[in-house]
Amino acid sequence: MTTSSVPALPGALRRGLDEWAQSEGPIWAFIFKALLGACVALWLAYRLELPQAGTVLATVFIVMQPESGQVLAKSFYRILGTLLGLAVTVPLLALFAQERVLFLLCLALWIGLCTAGAARYRDFRGYGCVLAGYTAALIGLPAIADPESAFMQALWRVLEISLGILCSGLVSALILPQNSSASLRRLLATRFRDFAGFAAAALGGQLDVARLEQLNARFAGEAVALDNLRNASAFEDPYFRMRSGRLGRLNHEFMVLSTRFHGLHQLLQRLQGEAGAQVRAALEPCLAGVGALLAPLGQHLCSEADAEVLAQRLEGSRCELMEQIRAARRQLVALHPGDQQLLDFNTAAEQLYRFTGDLHDYALTHASLLVHRHAREQWQDSFTPRANGLAAAVTGMRSALLVLGLGAFWIATAWPSGGTCVLTAAMVAGLVAGAPSPRQQALKLLIGALGSAVLGGLLQFWVLPWLEGFALLCCALAPVFALGAWLLARSATAGYGTGLMLWFCIIALPANLPPYDFQRLLNEYLAALLAIGLTTLSLALILPPDRPWLWRRLEHDLRMRVVFAVSGRLKGLVAGFESGTRDLLTQAQVSAVGRPEVQRRLLRWMFAVLEIGQAVIELRQEQARLPAEPCYAAGMPWQADIRALGRALVRLFIQPDAGNRQRALAAVEQAIATVRQTPENRPPQFDRSPLRRVLSQLHFIRSSLLDPHSPLAAGSATDAP
Amino acid sequence: MPREIALFGVYLPNLTLLFVITLAVGWGIDRLVAWSGLYRHAWHPTLLRASLFTCLYGVLMLYVYH
Repeated sequence: MTTSSVPALPGALRRGLDEWAQSEGPIWAFIFKALLGACVALWLAYRLELPQAGTVLATVFIVMQPESGQVLAKSFYRILGTLLGLAVTVPLLALFAQERVLFLLCLALWIGLCTAGAARYRDFRGYGCVLAGYTAALIGLPAIADPESAFMQALWRVLEISLGILCSGLVSALILPQNSSASLRRLLATRFRDFAGFAAAALGGQLDVARLEQLNARFAGEAVALDNLRNASAFEDPYFRMRSGRLGRLNHEFMVLSTRFHGLHQLLQRLQGEAGAQVRAALEPCLAGVGALLAPLGQHLCSEADAEVLAQRLEGSRCELMEQIRAARRQLVALHPGDQQLLDFNTAAEQLYRFTGDLHDYALTHASLLVHRHAREQWQDSFTPRANGLAAAVTGMRSALLVLGLGAFWIATAWPSGGTCVLTAAMVAGLVAGAPSPRQQALKLLIGALGSAVLGGLLQFWVLPWLEGFALLCCALAPVFALGAWLLARSATAGYGTGLMLWFCIIALPANLPPYDFQRLLNEYLAALLAIGLTTLSLALILPPDRPWLWRRLEHDLRMRVVFAVSGRLKGLVAGFESGTRDLLTQAQVSAVGRPEVQRRLLRWMFAVLEIGQAVIELRQEQARLPAEPCYAAGMPWQADIRALGRALVRLFIQPDAGNRQRALAAVEQAIATVRQTPENRPPQFDRSPLRRVLSQLHFIRSSLLDPHSPLAAGSATDAP
Repeated sequence: MPREIALFGVYLPNLTLLFVITLAVGWGIDRLVAWSGLYRHAWHPTLLRASLFTCLYGVLMLYVYH
């Protein structure tokens, strides 16, 4: 059809086609790509006379993923993982080929390590780990039965795996590519739009705590996803490679911005009663001015040009805001407010002013994406992921134990299909390690593998004997591959698809000389299903990851971020603090899926940690750039009191109970009192006087400690279920 | 020119070594093209990159094997 005839289509039909192309189109494109990749790989495998065509295809389906951006990056890390698996297994083979118990022990350890790595890193290193374990299992386990030819077999396996990775990588990168850069752009724009819309409403007076929590939980997840996308885009798209530093910076500035806004929101939320209403009324014009700036951006997706306009307008309005704040303060002073009220006002106004500063930074960086080279590209800090080492270690230990147990059973009973059983256990362990809910994922794999047993049996004994030639074979296999790809394309059914395709390819796919042996097929499938079933059981029985022990650990890790803020090195502290805290929260949210009350509690902790952590870091930065005057000397009483406050906060966040909270409150009161008594030779305005800024930060910490909704008020919730 | 080289006692076809060399050279060219902004004018940058790599590999192979 030519393009000129397209407008002639009736409107409804065209709209329908457009909708279909939007919703179902990518799925069909993926199915087509999977079929093509599989057929090319299969043809090459037969043509090159590789001993196990099944391994090539199984690799194709492990690697083939619908979000086909990022393939180059993924393929690169996967090939690295494969080579690493080879490099570890071959020396093991050389050392222990005759001593199979020792060999199995080492192999189990290595597989455990790889599984732990896959659980620990959820980015490209994770893929590398999965492939390293997979390769080691594929090379090592057959070698136990046949040590003489082990080395050649190992080389063949690596060739087969590499061929699979290359085929699927090339097909998904070259044909109908879906760039990760498009999703990166969309993610950036929608995130900022939602933030601007919410912030404008909140500054206008509609404070909505539930929506704030929900948005912040989403932003935390998106910050982690964005960093992964940024890495991938830098790999595959030269346009984004030149902007990689700015994108990282943009992500960081957004985190700072959302933390700041959360702090401001909390401060406004805590302005209760008549005294609070007075302060709020005084602040009203300042808030409304900033809200009016943001409101239009909440309506549509923000482009780089919009960001430039925003940056210019912010530049002008910041001086205005300063004047507005001063006018509002004079107005408030005329009402003879109490000390607390004045402190509340100062702190909130200062937060608002800093918020516009952060917004300005963000807008500048966003606008700078327009040009190829920009000074803002120079960005030293980086996103530092934090993960719970214990959870990863438990995952690794579980899979090592399983491999060891099944291996021992295999050796003890001389079971002919034992190798498949252990191999399956090792593969499943790696595949489910990175999944949000490993047990459910394993169950899906089990059902998929069951389906593949039925399909494989039917195909091998009723269809394949009638066929002649590669083209007919492809036709016969295409329905199965298409079904698998269709399942893989949706994240909800991807587990079934993986199970179906993997075990279909490994067990039922004909080799160059197809063996028609019903008994072998049955035994192999029995072994595979048994192994997946046992893995599922072990995930449910041995320290399952979606249980309170892990939530408690993650909560503790979250709280320890404040200790990091108090005692970490100041260089790169903000980036490390913001990104690490969000990464931890994302894991916590994933591990507590289906338990909203736990998710909420962990979210609350993150908020408490972010609020106090940000204030502490800014206090420390303030201290670091104090001018050299006697009233700012390190030996001054107020400096000593702030150090004492740091120690009290560390104690409180390590053990959050009522006593420690009282102690921290007393420390912050003491620090506030001393700072107030310290004479300073500067006008009492926050842009001139460092002590004034210190005072606001201290007051912010105090108000955060006093907040009755904070988890600190409830004490440690570690004993809750 | 020999078609195989011995690496730590294992015979490898020259192609393998060439592949690694092409990867390194191709990466350099890729960075250069990206830096100069030529990719922006390509219809399908990934296809261009893959084709560049294939051409480079083919040229090196023909040079060595003829």
